[in-house]
Amino acid sequence: MSNPPKPALECRDVTVKFGDVTALSDVAVSFAPGQIHAVVGQNGAGKTTFARVAAGLVQPTAGAVDVMGEEIRTGHVNQSRAAGVELVHQSFALPPSFTVAETMEFGATGKGGVYSRRGLSEKWRSHLASLDVQVDLNTRIRDLPIETQQGIEIARALVMDARVLILDEPTAVLSPTGIDMLFARVRRLKERGVTVILILHKIREVLGIADTVTVLRGGRKVEGPLPIAEVSAERLANLIVGDAIAKTLDRHERDALVGTKSPVGEGAGHPETAHGPSVLSMKSVSTRPDSEGTALDGVDLDIRPGEIVGIAGVEGNGQKTLVRAISALADLASGSIRLAGHDVTGEPLGARRAIGLRIIPFERNVEGLSLTSSLWQNWSARELLQGSLLRVIRPATVREACDRSLREWSVHYHNSAQKAGSLSGGNAQKVILAREVDRGARLIIAAQPTRGLDIGATAFVWQALRQARDRGVAILLISSDLDELFDISDRVVVMLSGRVNGEFRAPFDIASVGAAMTDAAARKSA
Amino acid sequence: MKDNLIAVVRSLIFVGLALILCALVFQFAGYNALTMLWAVADGAFLRSGAIEQSLRWALPLFITAVGVGISFRAGFFNIGAQGQFYVGAICAAFAAEAFKGGPAFLVIPALLISGMLGGALWALWPGLLRLRSGTDEVITTLMGNFMAGLLLVYVTSGPLKDPSGSGQQASSRPLDAAYRISDSLGLSPTIIAIAVAVGVLMWLLVNRTAFGVLASLAGRNGTMVEWQGARLWKLGLSSFLISGALAGLAGTIEFMGPNGRIASGFLPAHGFTAILIALVANLSVVGTAAAAVFFGGLASAALYLPIMAGLPAAAIDIINAAIALFITARSKLVDKVLRLGGRPS
Repeated sequence: MSNPPKPALECRDVTVKFGDVTALSDVAVSFAPGQIHAVVGQNGAGKTTFARVAAGLVQPTAGAVDVMGEEIRTGHVNQSRAAGVELVHQSFALPPSFTVAETMEFGATGKGGVYSRRGLSEKWRSHLASLDVQVDLNTRIRDLPIETQQGIEIARALVMDARVLILDEPTAVLSPTGIDMLFARVRRLKERGVTVILILHKIREVLGIADTVTVLRGGRKVEGPLPIAEVSAERLANLIVGDAIAKTLDRHERDALVGTKSPVGEGAGHPETAHGPSVLSMKSVSTRPDSEGTALDGVDLDIRPGEIVGIAGVEGNGQKTLVRAISALADLASGSIRLAGHDVTGEPLGARRAIGLRIIPFERNVEGLSLTSSLWQNWSARELLQGSLLRVIRPATVREACDRSLREWSVHYHNSAQKAGSLSGGNAQKVILAREVDRGARLIIAAQPTRGLDIGATAFVWQALRQARDRGVAILLISSDLDELFDISDRVVVMLSGRVNGEFRAPFDIASVGAAMTDAAARKSA
Repeated sequence: MKDNLIAVVRSLIFVGLALILCALVFQFAGYNALTMLWAVADGAFLRSGAIEQSLRWALPLFITAVGVGISFRAGFFNIGAQGQFYVGAICAAFAAEAFKGGPAFLVIPALLISGMLGGALWALWPGLLRLRSGTDEVITTLMGNFMAGLLLVYVTSGPLKDPSGSGQQASSRPLDAAYRISDSLGLSPTIIAIAVAVGVLMWLLVNRTAFGVLASLAGRNGTMVEWQGARLWKLGLSSFLISGALAGLAGTIEFMGPNGRIASGFLPAHGFTAILIALVANLSVVGTAAAAVFFGGLASAALYLPIMAGLPAAAIDIINAAIALFITARSKLVDKVLRLGGRPS
């Protein structure tokens, strides 16, 4: 009997419950050493929970985890790290004011002592170089591009001689070029014998990098690890979405949802070009620098009725400020903004909303909803603000109107007095849609409207935006997901460092859009 | 509705726990706990005339507490009710000097309005500081209480000083009997009418206007309301001013009613008891009325205990403190127990 190599990481019937919610259910999977394994699934499939169990951050309700054939105590980070498992989180947690050398020293070992800058730099230079992280060790983290920050996170995870490295959605924040760099780095790790587990959600990326793929859906393992040579993109898409839902989606939609296609984008399939005077017209808008994000620098942007304009760009390149500028929540240094034919440059948000501005904000649970307030209060806020604050209302009447609207948007809820925080992400987003996508809407800003939503809810949001577009509403869609942008935008504008760095029309070419997302950065560092 | 019921039960449980804690304290201090609690109940509600006395204290407390509730709902922790209460009374006392000799049907409303304006003024500056420069209103309103207390000492021993005073406690000249709205017992149709009017108007404001809904949203999540296009300062400052005006009104009622004058350091716990009432009532107007009667009863018992039962009045302070302890700690345990009966959706 031959002795196969022990799996680098094995989960035996792992179940994780958070209160009533089962995040993982009897997941049994084993990953062979020295390979690149992909774990895929939609939002809410349990991918992150899986990663956190392996890293010892979550104590499973049942089940065991083995590393290199040895069972480890679950739920203890130190145990997992000692066994050689390291996790790089979805959102990095590097201290922004530290230099690279300081980050390496204090993040990785946590030992006390006396240090010198020079000493630290010397100590870490070779380690970073061996992982191909090209960086001046005295640069502060906040001044580094996101790709380099990720490189440092990975380098930090590998200080302790990690044998299994788990990267949770590492591609979500990267430009296409950044993704290529990451994959090159991952392949080099494999050559060094490290087992890499990548949590991904785009099939294109899985097929491009992984040796095996494991699919999770609804907290259960559907399939895997399957050798990548044995699965087609088609099959993988159906495994991720599930047969039941796959039947309800058209093929085009499904492909955009799971990121199958390679150079994506016939675009929205919106035949006639939008016409009529611009609903939104920004002329060389610059904003004053503030602490909330990159300032705008001479942005020109026009959106016509019946047009979806997508904003692409690596996060943090001024997209938030753009939304805040249109919403009168950022101070303009110069330039003008016209909305539905009115010059609204100095007007407050209330006046802009009165002439048809609607916003689906970035932060659903902070800017979009008051989680501890009732659904009807959340839903009625926009209407209540259009008129005298002292006018008399009957809550019963408002609640009836709210019920009608929420039913129309097929929100699943018990009653309108229920707190907004008790809804799932998809339902919460539908409440926001019910409030913002009304007959009076002329311009809808949709900022990351599908982030964190499962496939059904994502398709619903896309449908709602398309329908509004077809009614003649102008839509500004901000997303870090290029598949989403290419699928529903009529036009894509790329932002880089607070400027417009390119404008594209369907059919979109991922290479040129990707180049526009990074090229100035490339020029700067060259 | 169910949420309201849970809130009521929760408050009752907190008060009950506080009373048990008090009983333990009394017992350890060498008193018979049951005798003590019985004397408190007797002094507050049971003996003849107790209800009237309790209402005398409850009505001004209710008016101040409703105001506190309105600013808390909007997310502004105005804990300066005591100072606003004083400044309201001071303004009314000055107005009484100015309008001396005028017909009562004009002067009485004028004094009430002056008192409200005075209270609002004492809420205006912390409100503006918070909205213009983000100064924490808890700090400024708390400091405002001390400033108002010193202002009261100054006016009662300076400009408004009663030269015939005993010298023990500086106080103002007594208000003309024609302008008094109650005798020294402190309960009169006028005061009851004012309290009812305040209750009804504030209930309508909170529950039946756009302002009420938006202020409550703003209190729970100001960012969300800002993204809806509301001017947060409008909601916040008006809530602040209403709360100050009502505290000032309560101060004016004490001045024009039972006291008939202002004295340095009078009713030093009024504003803080009102905050406690608002919290026990979970900021609801109806709940505030019920809680005000309860705490009015305690205030009345505080006078009764030493005189009639020979027990220390500090017992009432202990009860107040214990309730404050439990209400502010918001025990998770109680919430859990309540949820066993039926999970709120």
